[in-house]
Amino acid sequence: MSDQDGTAENRLRKELPEETPAAAPKAVPPAEQNEKIEKDKDERPGVTGRQRLVQGLWPPRVSRAQLIVAVLLFGLGFGLAVQVASNSDGDSALRGARQEDLVRILDELDDRTQRLEDEKAGLEKQRDELENSSDQAEEARKQTLEKERQLGILAGTVAAQGPGITMTIDDTKGTVEADMLLDAIQELRAAGAEAIQVNGVRVVAGTYLTDSGNSVSVDGNKINAPYRFKVIGKPQDLEPALNIPGGVVQTLEKEQATVTVERSTKIVVDALRAAKQPDYARSSSR
Amino acid sequence: MIAVLGLVVGVVAGLLVRPEVPAVVEPYLPIAVVAALDAVFGGLRAMLDGIFDDKVFVVSFLSNVVVAALIVFLGDKLGVGAQLSTGVVVVLGIRIFSNAAAIRRHVFRA
Repeated sequence: MSDQDGTAENRLRKELPEETPAAAPKAVPPAEQNEKIEKDKDERPGVTGRQRLVQGLWPPRVSRAQLIVAVLLFGLGFGLAVQVASNSDGDSALRGARQEDLVRILDELDDRTQRLEDEKAGLEKQRDELENSSDQAEEARKQTLEKERQLGILAGTVAAQGPGITMTIDDTKGTVEADMLLDAIQELRAAGAEAIQVNGVRVVAGTYLTDSGNSVSVDGNKINAPYRFKVIGKPQDLEPALNIPGGVVQTLEKEQATVTVERSTKIVVDALRAAKQPDYARSSSR
Repeated sequence: MIAVLGLVVGVVAGLLVRPEVPAVVEPYLPIAVVAALDAVFGGLRAMLDGIFDDKVFVVSFLSNVVVAALIVFLGDKLGVGAQLSTGVVVVLGIRIFSNAAAIRRHVFRA
């Protein structure tokens, strides 16, 4: 294309096809080529290449050749800097890429997006499942707690309050015996009593009553007259159940005892009983 | 000296202005720059040989750039743009090396 290997007088020869041999020296090993050049130069008398370089550089001379070369070099420097700058931009990797590369990169990105979307969907599903299961666990826990409270009322391990009645049996003559109190408790249970306490002793499923001298023992706790029953249940059922003819009240009154039954909207049964792990019986459910 | 100043000023201007390269020119600019570099090295060698001629330099510079751009353009049209660009760069690189060797001999005598 261009070699500055023509002298002033053979400049015209560059237009000729003989220009092609200019490329030939490139096939020659550089050392040999350079030897030839130096030989040519040595034949010429006068200045060496280095001197010419120094002369060209200093002092600065404004000549047509210098100006033209300066303009061209300005263009070269400008293009060089622009290219370097645009190459070192952030998106240079894409800027310099060819169309097929860009298509490939786009495909890869699409694939990656697809994969990540799938992964996202999977993770979201997992998250939903976990949330649901934790909701369910929470619900189960609540239900268990509720059940524990209900069972606790039955077992006498928690205090209870609600509407009910208070029955006071005043036994001045000491004629009331354990079986009468047991009858009263049975009657109350039959009438739907949910929690009962007698003189500060909670009555539960395993409660037993025994005579103990002039008084009565409930689960081994001796209680004295007057016997105060606090009963939670429906007052409209409990009171008639006690008062039916030939029922608890009449039987007790026959024994010279005084029985008072009062309805109340708020009865507090706060006598507690420790939960006892059964020694032999085990739950067979589950 | 003025030529060297021109180069320096060009680099500085390119860095300062940072113009957007037009999309049309974009594929040709790198090859054109390499071709111009080849012309410059050739010119430098010619100057050291004492056979420098400004007209030859101008013609070779411009024709280098134009032919390089033409080859890239043709390569793109033929679908072998990448390979042809590589080829051009390799050839120009060889020429630059051989010119640089000659320059080195002049300057360092080695």
